[in-house]
Amino acid sequence: MLKVRLRRAPRGGDTPRAVPVAEGAGVPQPLRAAAEAARFTGGCGQRLDIPTPEGRVLLVGAGPARRPLDWERAGGTAAAGLAGVRRLALDARGLAPEAAAALAAGACLRAWRFGAYRTCDSPLLEKLDVLVDAPEAVAPHWERVSAGVRGCLLARDLTAEPGNRLTTRDFAARLEGLAEHGIAVDVLGRKRLQRAGMGGLLAVGGGSAHPPRLAVLRWRGSHAGPPVAFIGKGICFDTGGISIKPAQGMEAMRADMAGAAACAGAMLALALRRSPAPAVAVLALAENGIGAEAYRPGDVLRLAAGTTVEVVDTDAEGRLVLADALHYARRFRPQAMIDLATLTGAIVTALGAHRAGLFGTDAALLAQCAAAGEAVGEPLWPMPIGQRHREDLASDIADLKQCATGRLLPDACHAAAFLREFVGDTAWAHLDIAGVEMRATAAPLGPKGPSGFGARLLDALVAHYFEDVDRH
Amino acid sequence: MLDIAFVKPALPRHGALVLPLAEDAALAGLAQAIDAASGGAIARALAAANFKGRKGQSATLWAPALEGGAAGPARVVAIGLGKEAELTPEALEAAGGAALGLVQAEREAVVAAEALAPPLAAAFAMGLLLRSYRFDRYRTTEKEEDKPKLERVTVATEAGPAVKAAWAPLRAVAEGVFLSRDLVSEPPNILHPEEMAERCEALSKLGVEVEVLGPKEMRKLGMGALLGVAQGSAREPRLVVMQWNGAGGNGKGKKPAGKPVAFIGKGVTFDTGGISIKPAAGMEDMKWDMAGAGAVVGLMAALAGRRAKVDVVGLVGLVENMPSGEAQRPGDVVRTMSGQTVEVINTDAEGRLVLADVIHYCQERFEPRFMIDLATLTGAIIISLGNEHAGLFSNDDALAQQIAAAGKVVGEQVWRMPLAEAYDKQLKSDIADMKNVGGRPGGSITAAHFIQRFVSTKAGPMPWAHLDIAGVAWSTKDLPTVPKGATAFGVRLLDRLVADHYEG
Repeated sequence: MLKVRLRRAPRGGDTPRAVPVAEGAGVPQPLRAAAEAARFTGGCGQRLDIPTPEGRVLLVGAGPARRPLDWERAGGTAAAGLAGVRRLALDARGLAPEAAAALAAGACLRAWRFGAYRTCDSPLLEKLDVLVDAPEAVAPHWERVSAGVRGCLLARDLTAEPGNRLTTRDFAARLEGLAEHGIAVDVLGRKRLQRAGMGGLLAVGGGSAHPPRLAVLRWRGSHAGPPVAFIGKGICFDTGGISIKPAQGMEAMRADMAGAAACAGAMLALALRRSPAPAVAVLALAENGIGAEAYRPGDVLRLAAGTTVEVVDTDAEGRLVLADALHYARRFRPQAMIDLATLTGAIVTALGAHRAGLFGTDAALLAQCAAAGEAVGEPLWPMPIGQRHREDLASDIADLKQCATGRLLPDACHAAAFLREFVGDTAWAHLDIAGVEMRATAAPLGPKGPSGFGARLLDALVAHYFEDVDRH
Repeated sequence: MLDIAFVKPALPRHGALVLPLAEDAALAGLAQAIDAASGGAIARALAAANFKGRKGQSATLWAPALEGGAAGPARVVAIGLGKEAELTPEALEAAGGAALGLVQAEREAVVAAEALAPPLAAAFAMGLLLRSYRFDRYRTTEKEEDKPKLERVTVATEAGPAVKAAWAPLRAVAEGVFLSRDLVSEPPNILHPEEMAERCEALSKLGVEVEVLGPKEMRKLGMGALLGVAQGSAREPRLVVMQWNGAGGNGKGKKPAGKPVAFIGKGVTFDTGGISIKPAAGMEDMKWDMAGAGAVVGLMAALAGRRAKVDVVGLVGLVENMPSGEAQRPGDVVRTMSGQTVEVINTDAEGRLVLADVIHYCQERFEPRFMIDLATLTGAIIISLGNEHAGLFSNDDALAQQIAAAGKVVGEQVWRMPLAEAYDKQLKSDIADMKNVGGRPGGSITAAHFIQRFVSTKAGPMPWAHLDIAGVAWSTKDLPTVPKGATAFGVRLLDRLVADHYEG
């Protein structure tokens, strides 16, 4: 992440200075003529690079400048396309402290880059000076907002890693590293998984040389009472297994752990900002590989809940590992469970790359998730779990079929109906984030590549709805 | 169609006696009468069958012996309705539908409906009627004993006039549903655009004003998109305009009292996909790619049949999408009636091209209060929602809520899907104003955006809703009030919408 300093005045020198302008607010003199000539009006995403005697000035549009998200996008726009610039000043003087913090957050999100495997690289933006009237007023806001940003960037870092670099063991080790922030980490290996009867996770991970793991992250918070639980799908690489995927595009399957990564990012965010709310994340880590030990279509598995499941398609593995993780999460008696998973291609067909699918059983929780998503620019759209969706999962041999067969199947709804069998009466929401976990093109809040979708959403969800002591 | 009558209760001497019973309800009326006549055999048999009147329960008792050897029904069928306090018309419809299968081997059936409030008695009859639909026009060798025999259903009630009053509009709606199911069930060699237009013309008997436009008129109007789809077929396209002016009086000849409401249907009587031809497996299903138009025609019949107090226009664009030397190609650019140009990327995304021109024509000519289009538009909506909900897209929250509420009441459910600029952008073309497809991601949403580009914004955005019914127009299994096959989805929903909000 960028090194961020809150300063009262610019440092001088050749540091470019970005000036956010709300739509219709008017461009300050002496830049007005340039703005008019270039038809810069302050619209969201607009950007104008002006050389001045005092140095390079970037005008960036803040659009309606109403919500923090508008300022985040302006900050992101400022941080885009700064080839060769190591330090940027972001001029937030005259703005509310929340807006200043949001600007900085946006810049940090946009400036993220995954450079671990580049052996030669041009210099990148490293430092951000946020110019503010009163640093001490902005600092607490920045501390809160930057926690979510760091969580998001952790999720991106993990998601960007290729399958050979982030095996299940590597993923677990990275999660264990979160202990330094006060998160208790427990990683269950094969033996304990067997003892817990996690037939889903064990079967899915069976075909790989890298053994499955269940990582449990706990943040105690300061409130007594039940935690909120995040459950993440962490398929480090998904070949599809015996129901193997077509070769074309398979490399994208290194990101099939983006749900688990987002949950881990959210836990980091809560820890960094010392959230009072207790939280637990249960992350199912496995590689869906092909091997002599791989599970097969037709296999019947007994999951941790005791439910038997007929496997139809080994490439519908996410719901199997999630079923076990959801069941495990219930032992913490959470007040709500939210699972995140790059679960189905069907949700991409349904909602494309602009919204994630939102399923669940608790209307209040669903509304809260949707609101949190809107607030951080990670929008959701409610989707149904119908009676027919559940009926389609009737099996001739087991309690449940893992998915249906045929053409044009509503597989995202089927998957949600499947997961619902494992949540009991706990309030539950399921976010199918396939399609939004990767950006095909750069956007104000991130470059092309992993988006970290979900980490900031969960952090905002907890901040808005789970930190009130009197909630219960 | 089943003959349904409402009479005073009397025990039947043959056929079937149907007892709709709420949970743990005491036998009353005809139920009590037959129980008494059989020396309590009915109550004993129901107890033995563990029949409690729960929703979905049923029991059949064969030819109970009556005291004194009197003639009685050949079978007594008990149908569970669920809890007395939770009886709704929808629940009664489902129960009526369930009863049908148990009595259709008899020629006549009597329904003991004395205990039911008039709207519930009528709803039970509606369920029976809707489920009795059968499309057997092309069965020539079916054995007599394999055919359903039921011809007449007598609903026994003390509240004859009230039940009849509740029944009259339902019967008209059922006629519309059956008409729609007929149209959708017809094979594509029989029902091509000209034939379907002719069947629309038959609505004039009900007081509907029907106009049919052919290719010459459409060319003059500049409907390049619709004509582009049609040009590969030997069958000429048709645009049918149906008007029912019921607000100020009664149909034909009347002038509309104000702005009408408008319904628009996609009527691709067969969709091969055109040059972007579909895979062979399952292509026969594409005979029902006119189900949107079928629903609009059925709806017009329903509204006119029940003399609805509303001014309404129904427009259907009828084409056949075929590959041939004349067919349009991927890459072609067509000019729609609105003047906007479209690059045809996939000739199998033809429905939206047809709708674009029909929608534009509709708003230019009628300036309606709102427009609702129905179309079996995308496979993506089936992948999104399955077969229980149609996809609802709308630029107007109030209209969308009205539609969703109406759908819930009649059991034709919809699910709202999003519209947003980011999806609209996927339609950008390098050569024309837009492409006709936006790629796989969000395929139903981009299709809706394509249509929305033809919805007028001249006087503020025209309230508009689009129902993607590809997943619900045809059922692969029997449902309570819908036998396997054409569902006529949309007829009851939109009739209800009009009845609830746009009449009087």
